[in-house]
Amino acid sequence: MTHAEHPQSFISKYIFSQDHKMIGTQYTITGLLMAALGGFLAYVFRYNLAWPGEHIPLFGDLAANQYNTFITCHGMIMVFWVAMPILLGGFGNFLIPVMIGADDMSFPKLNMLSYWTFLLSAIVLVASFFVPGGAFGGAWTMYPPLSASAYSNLHPHFFQALFTGAPMMILAVALEFTAILMGGINYVVTTINKRAPGLTAFRLPLTVWFINIATVIFMFSVGPLVAGAFMLLFDIVIGTGFYDPARGGDPILFQHLFWFFGHPEVYVLLLPSLGVLGEIIPVFARKPLFGYRKIIYLALLSAVLSVVVWAHHQFVAGIDPRMATFFSIGTILISIPFAGIFLSFIATLWGGRIKLTLPMMWALGFIALFLIGGMTGLFLGSNAFDIYAHDTYFVVAHFHYTLFPDIFFGFFAAFTYWFPKFTGRELNKGLGHVHFWLTFIFFNSTFFLLFFNGLGGQHRRINDYSLFSNINIEPYITFEKIATTSAILLILSQSLFLINLFISLRAGKRAERNPWNANTLEWLAPSPPPHGNFEHVPAVYRGAYEYSVPGVESDFIPQYAEQV
Amino acid sequence: MPVTRVPQGRLAMWVLIAGELMIFGGLIACYLMYRLRFPEWGIQAAHTSTFFGALNTAVLLTSSFTVVKAHEAANKGDTKRITMWLSISILGGLLFLVNKSIEYSREIAEGFTLPSVGMHEAGDSIGSLFWSFYYLMTGLHGMHVIAGMVVMFLALLNARKGQKLHRVELAGMYWHMVDLIWIFLFPLLYIAK
Amino acid sequence: MRIFPESVSTYGHGIDQLFWLILIFVGTALVISYFILLYPIIKNHHSKVKRAKYITGEGKGPYSWILLALALLLGSDFVILFAEHHVWEDIENVPEQVDMRCCITGRQWNWIFTYPGPDGKLYTADDITIDETNSELHVPVNKNIVFDLKAKEVLHSFFVVNTRLKQDCIPGRTNTRWFNFTRTGKYDISCAEICGIAHSQMRNFIVVESQEDFDKYINDLYAKHSQTASN
Repeated sequence: MTHAEHPQSFISKYIFSQDHKMIGTQYTITGLLMAALGGFLAYVFRYNLAWPGEHIPLFGDLAANQYNTFITCHGMIMVFWVAMPILLGGFGNFLIPVMIGADDMSFPKLNMLSYWTFLLSAIVLVASFFVPGGAFGGAWTMYPPLSASAYSNLHPHFFQALFTGAPMMILAVALEFTAILMGGINYVVTTINKRAPGLTAFRLPLTVWFINIATVIFMFSVGPLVAGAFMLLFDIVIGTGFYDPARGGDPILFQHLFWFFGHPEVYVLLLPSLGVLGEIIPVFARKPLFGYRKIIYLALLSAVLSVVVWAHHQFVAGIDPRMATFFSIGTILISIPFAGIFLSFIATLWGGRIKLTLPMMWALGFIALFLIGGMTGLFLGSNAFDIYAHDTYFVVAHFHYTLFPDIFFGFFAAFTYWFPKFTGRELNKGLGHVHFWLTFIFFNSTFFLLFFNGLGGQHRRINDYSLFSNINIEPYITFEKIATTSAILLILSQSLFLINLFISLRAGKRAERNPWNANTLEWLAPSPPPHGNFEHVPAVYRGAYEYSVPGVESDFIPQYAEQV
Repeated sequence: MPVTRVPQGRLAMWVLIAGELMIFGGLIACYLMYRLRFPEWGIQAAHTSTFFGALNTAVLLTSSFTVVKAHEAANKGDTKRITMWLSISILGGLLFLVNKSIEYSREIAEGFTLPSVGMHEAGDSIGSLFWSFYYLMTGLHGMHVIAGMVVMFLALLNARKGQKLHRVELAGMYWHMVDLIWIFLFPLLYIAK
Repeated sequence: MRIFPESVSTYGHGIDQLFWLILIFVGTALVISYFILLYPIIKNHHSKVKRAKYITGEGKGPYSWILLALALLLGSDFVILFAEHHVWEDIENVPEQVDMRCCITGRQWNWIFTYPGPDGKLYTADDITIDETNSELHVPVNKNIVFDLKAKEVLHSFFVVNTRLKQDCIPGRTNTRWFNFTRTGKYDISCAEICGIAHSQMRNFIVVESQEDFDKYINDLYAKHSQTASN
């Protein structure tokens, strides 16, 4: 390998690095920092919901427009600046090259540019908090005319209008999309072109498949939203009327463009984490992944179906009733592939030899929570019930039960599983398990009760229910307080993760090359893998999930093992 | 050690082009929806200059042809011819932009601007929306023309030194995409009345 | 504890029933899912099992369990779809017999009510419009009330918890919906689509009363209106 030959300066190694592992680290750390910001925003508005009008510790008083800004930015940050960098930027960069036996990405410079564009997008977003009028506060969906009209009236001048909340948020999201697209080109080309000899398509680990499918879904669905965002930006800063009904425009158009991207985006976020589950569960059940090929076919099917479900977010927007039925059926159909994938994971456990290690706990916790999140989707997919439940806390609880396990349980599963590989150290198990259980318990106590608040009629994005005498009642008031207290504890328990990270980095036990006895290629590389990853180009002889093969003494056969 | 026979630059370019086509696809789909809703846009479309549109189509098609010639030359390693054909292609892009700016200035002089505030105030709001679409679509396309010219220029600089000749093909692919998008825009904005 | 607030419209009950129906399916599916998830975790703990079974799931054999589960899921999905379809039609399709017509417009930040004037027709010169915070929309009980939903500047969403009805109001469009109240009372109208700073304060009332009370209210309104008009 030629990589190890040139010495690297501090700047080229840690700052303007072209090494996929360092870029993955940069993406992950930036994502976690943004998660801290998103979590802080959540703390502030949840505190306000439980104790409306009271002074918020560490923050102060929350005005109504700040409340709107905070919920908007919480959503934006968690989806675009936490989930995307961690699940695509982090997983994609860390895992794809090592899992396919490559020394690095196909385009290392593009990869570096991708991260720096992403960092710039995060800076633009954070900066938007400090412009006159504050960050955008019209919900993360940015529906016009509210998003188009909120600021332009205040600032008739072009440049003044540009540096207000809504245009800056559009700019930040646009930069973020560009970053993810640059990363995505790398993932797809690297996977197609840099696989080790013998690593055929159906020998690829599920993670690699799923990150690529997610990337393709993202690239396919994001285009129309980019077009829509241009129109929105022009409406705001130049005063066109694309979404202005007084000028022949149509606000519903933006909703279609938004959700044409927005719903597939859910699967973009879900698939990388599911891929990680597909690695962890077989390793700790010591059993082949159940129906590996069929899982891939199901994911491809879901990718196709993901573009015909978007309007189920618009059941109460006054769309054609026949269209609503069409999208209701689409929504039902897309539940099938994902049910199939989850059932395959569960089936992998049957007849296995299960070790409840830290990564396995996170993976199983993911499934346990996602079952609730997915199943409550059936209520919302039914368009008649959605008339009532739409934009209530039922929806809020539902999507937190899908996205929280997806983002954070998925991340922690991957983190605990690959930590020994990428740092060469083992994590502290005791601390890790405490962190898992606290997160699991406090997550449930934060969000489960909110289902009832939603069914009781509490609608979203309201900073104070005191005007509404029929929903500002017990037990919902108590539920809000329990949810807020739990949310604070949930955030505080994440400090255990940080403590564990630092303790294990400094004083953790040295990790072996293959501590979990896993099959995939990354366990062949040294721990941590040097610049260039492998000592020799590995050759691949079999699929990724050959565990407990009959007639073989060892209960695993690595992909790189020539002889059984 | 590429596994497939396709060079990675070409693969990446296909992925990029697919993404770009989705952006313009979304834009064109929106335009078509409005167009079907507002037949009166035909009156506005009559103000666009079919002559200039057709001229620009011819210019882009010609430069697409010359970029193919540049690719042929690159396959033979003939740096002189690469330089010649790429320069002609870049000049084609420049001609396109010159034409486009003449068109724009004529239209703006007639009061058809991006927000078309005058038309809106005169009561023709729906007509003004046509011009918003016109400027957004042709403007975004114009940006891609400029990007394509930059890419071809960079390929040209490399090729003159005899380096990275495969970039000629990649620049050509991008330029074909720019051409292809225009082939859709021309009938939609100029011919359909 | 009640799961749902009191239902006061003819179709509200259908929504509530739909919830319980879906809950039966979802609850059953969840119980089964948790069982098949937890059972192997407990039974196949590595301390109790020497070696895992080698089951790839590539052939047809064991995979038919998953196909069976998916078929069951798809079946129950379509049962739900079938059951909810008539509830959806009931709410979305305006009945032919209309007892009262009015127009409700969302603005930043209150609901505007427009009653037809003495000629009984909406959108004529004698319409009476009430545009105040905390104002009330009066409607008779047990009557089909059909209303046009509009919005002035930005999106709003008309939401009356007790009727279970929610409908977005979109500038430039008119969505026509209906309800028929089964009992009298005073209920909140809220906005369920973020509409700016005072979104949380956007609250008006709907007052459901007997036909006599309603007639009296509306005649008083006409009288007051003609008085101000003549002044």
